[in-house]
Amino acid sequence: MTTDGMQKAPTKRSELQMARSMCWHCQSEITGEYFCEQCVKVQPLSKEMDYFTCLGLPRLLNIDLAALEAKFYDLSRAFHPDFYQRKTASEQDISLGNSAMLNTAYRTLKDPVLRAEYLLRLEAGSAKDIRTSPPADLFEEILTLQEDLEAFRAASDQAPAAVASLRTKLAADRELLEQRQRDMEARLLELFSRWDALHDRRPQAAPATPHSQQDKEAVLKEMRELLSNRTYLRNIVNDLIATTA
Amino acid sequence: MAYSEKVVDHFNNPRNMGSFKKDEEDVGTGIVGAPECGDVMKLQIKVQDEKIVDARFKTFGCGSAIASSSLATEWLKGKTLQEAQQIKNTDIVQELNLPPVKIHCSVLAEDAIKAALNDYKKKTEEKK
Repeated sequence: MTTDGMQKAPTKRSELQMARSMCWHCQSEITGEYFCEQCVKVQPLSKEMDYFTCLGLPRLLNIDLAALEAKFYDLSRAFHPDFYQRKTASEQDISLGNSAMLNTAYRTLKDPVLRAEYLLRLEAGSAKDIRTSPPADLFEEILTLQEDLEAFRAASDQAPAAVASLRTKLAADRELLEQRQRDMEARLLELFSRWDALHDRRPQAAPATPHSQQDKEAVLKEMRELLSNRTYLRNIVNDLIATTA
Repeated sequence: MAYSEKVVDHFNNPRNMGSFKKDEEDVGTGIVGAPECGDVMKLQIKVQDEKIVDARFKTFGCGSAIASSSLATEWLKGKTLQEAQQIKNTDIVQELNLPPVKIHCSVLAEDAIKAALNDYKKKTEEKK
């Protein structure tokens, strides 16, 4: 994906979002710019604008981080409150609001996990049922591990031999869990690519089929599952580290 | 935001912490989790003649999650299965004065109650 291609062909979404508004100051039509062409006043970012659109990116999961950063710096400079000190109160408000949204958008998209969580929220309406059934096996496993941790805490005062063997067992558990975390991260990246492939809008890409909606829902569902399980695993690993440290 | 006095009390003196043997006939077990924060909650009921005679919980999570499940076990004891079904997360929110960001903890406790009741129901139906 190149940034050039994106600039030449802005997504329909961003055109629509901008086209329906007019300048709050001089009421002239705004055609997709952050500043009114007539009176040069800064324009507020639409609250409904999604973060991808805000930062000029297509709604994909593998993103061009360099392009993201460049656009972020670019817009930060344009909206920064320091440059609006001598402007009107309305312009100062807009500068502040835009900067806040821009910062949140950048923070969210920069981090792959936050990015995926955000995409899931955006897509929640289009997929019928992203909700997944609770991972019963994982819960059982976590409860067993927590019981081992309790035993370890209880033993740590008196029984040195028991502590040593528990510590060895917990260290082995921790290694396995950390390996699973790495596997999850790898799988998440695979899902990123699958999602992006389903959204390839280039002309040579395969046309949308009835299957692709199902495929999308499957990817979203697995991603939802993976992100939840990742949180459960992270907690138990953190507990393991804190207790055995 | 500080925890309410009641949350702190349940956190420091959890009621009915522990567990029953899962495979016993008169025990219903519910294990649920909150994917947002990674909390895991286990809640168990012991039933005699359609009445909950005892309850236990084990929760690995924040203070509000622990307090919600501790309170839930207190409320469950002595209730009939039907009465237990009526416990709502909003009752827990009210009793513990949970702030909006902690409402999901009370939802987790309600889910755990429902899961334990369902598990018990399934067990008794299989027996028939």
